Amino acid sequence: MGPNPAACTTPSAIPTDLAGWSAAHRAIKAAAKSSAVGKALLVQGVAADVALVPTPKVAYVAEPGKPGGSVSYGGLLAFDVAEAGRYRVAQSGRSWVDVIVDGKPSPSVAHGHGPDCSGIAKMVDYDLPAGRHLLQVAANGEAALTVMVSAVR
Amino acid sequence: MIRAGRLALLLSGLLLAAGAGAARDAKGSAEAQVALGRRLFHDGDLSINGTLSCATCHDPRHSFADGVRAHPGAHGEAGLRNVPSLVNVGSLSPLTWGNAGLTTLELQAMVPITGEDPVEMGMKGQEAELARRLSANHCYRKLFRASFPATRGRIDFASVAAALAAFQRTIVSHDTAWDRAAAGGPPLAGAAARGEALFRGKAGCAGCHAGREFTDLAFHRLPGEPETPENGDFGLARVTGRSEDRGRFRTPSLRNVALTAPYLHDGSADTIAAVLARHGAALSPAEAGDIEAFLGDLNDTQVTHNAAYARPGRSCEVS
Repeated sequence: MGPNPAACTTPSAIPTDLAGWSAAHRAIKAAAKSSAVGKALLVQGVAADVALVPTPKVAYVAEPGKPGGSVSYGGLLAFDVAEAGRYRVAQSGRSWVDVIVDGKPSPSVAHGHGPDCSGIAKMVDYDLPAGRHLLQVAANGEAALTVMVSAVR
Repeated sequence: MIRAGRLALLLSGLLLAAGAGAARDAKGSAEAQVALGRRLFHDGDLSINGTLSCATCHDPRHSFADGVRAHPGAHGEAGLRNVPSLVNVGSLSPLTWGNAGLTTLELQAMVPITGEDPVEMGMKGQEAELARRLSANHCYRKLFRASFPATRGRIDFASVAAALAAFQRTIVSHDTAWDRAAAGGPPLAGAAARGEALFRGKAGCAGCHAGREFTDLAFHRLPGEPETPENGDFGLARVTGRSEDRGRFRTPSLRNVALTAPYLHDGSADTIAAVLARHGAALSPAEAGDIEAFLGDLNDTQVTHNAAYARPGRSCEVS
């Protein structure tokens, strides 16, 4: 774990790969089912302040590794990948995330924390093919979560 | 901190007394208690914000540990101690790293659920809320009734702890290369055999890592334990308040040890080689490698893949 956020008096420098985290955020409502995910589209490199859905209302495509209890929050988002490669899902919380490819969770290839005092609590990397992919968020403790997908360079 | 530990011990005793009714419900179905405990074990609703289940830290796929130094609490509170594996935990007493009073699984369950030093699942004072959450699920209502008929399936901390304990007592593993050799099967060979000889001889490991579970269940201080630990954890002294208990921690079992890195009470040793160095044993790299090979023969990967321990599906175990 990084330092207690309360102990952070100045924002941390953000690496170039994650520059979008420091820029203006978009507001997005997560979808509760995959058929509605077109309205919950993340833009690569742009952080989104996501309004999640109570977990019991979410119809996950694949059961999350950690689904969370009935009082937790989750939801479905989508993002487009133009070119196959490694992509990072950064978030302000510690929710469980899956990227669904061909109906199955894509195996993660790396995990980490964001820079201290950056507001990025957790990062997970995936090797993804081109196409539109579903991002499942599960077991978040609050309804609000900031999420950003970016290419790993 | 130490005062808080004493209070926790007192609270644990009171909870044991309160829970005795549920735990001794002889008319309850043992099978239902195990099924209920398994379902509860994997349920995030045992934590204040639904983010942590018992299995979040005690992940069956990681031999009921979690692979991190110290797991943060439900709201991100800093963790204090490394998560111990639950393999054969029903054979162990006392439980956990630094409290001789935690003698039963029923008592221990309340430490992560309601404890504040540190906060883990954050449910102190939330017994009614837990009952509300669980009673909203028809399967839980049936399972509690089948498990605890004497209280008509009352859902409270005591019955939750009793069911969790029933499930944890089923996490049993005695099918390793070492167990098979001990039972007259093929003996350990090569590096593992040399490692066992070192373990029981020159390295002195077996003095504490004794018996079938490789623990004497006693509290010891490692030679390299700092006087003032960085994380403020004084071990057994947190509970007893005695200065001589500073830095003393209960010997962990070594079953599946190769699957449960990092090691030591604070997760500060990433490898078995680092652990051996922290124990102060004068071993050559080859000897340390032999001991590591022996410890590898204490692995039972069946327990990590056993469907009986996995998260249950939506279908209820009782009709």
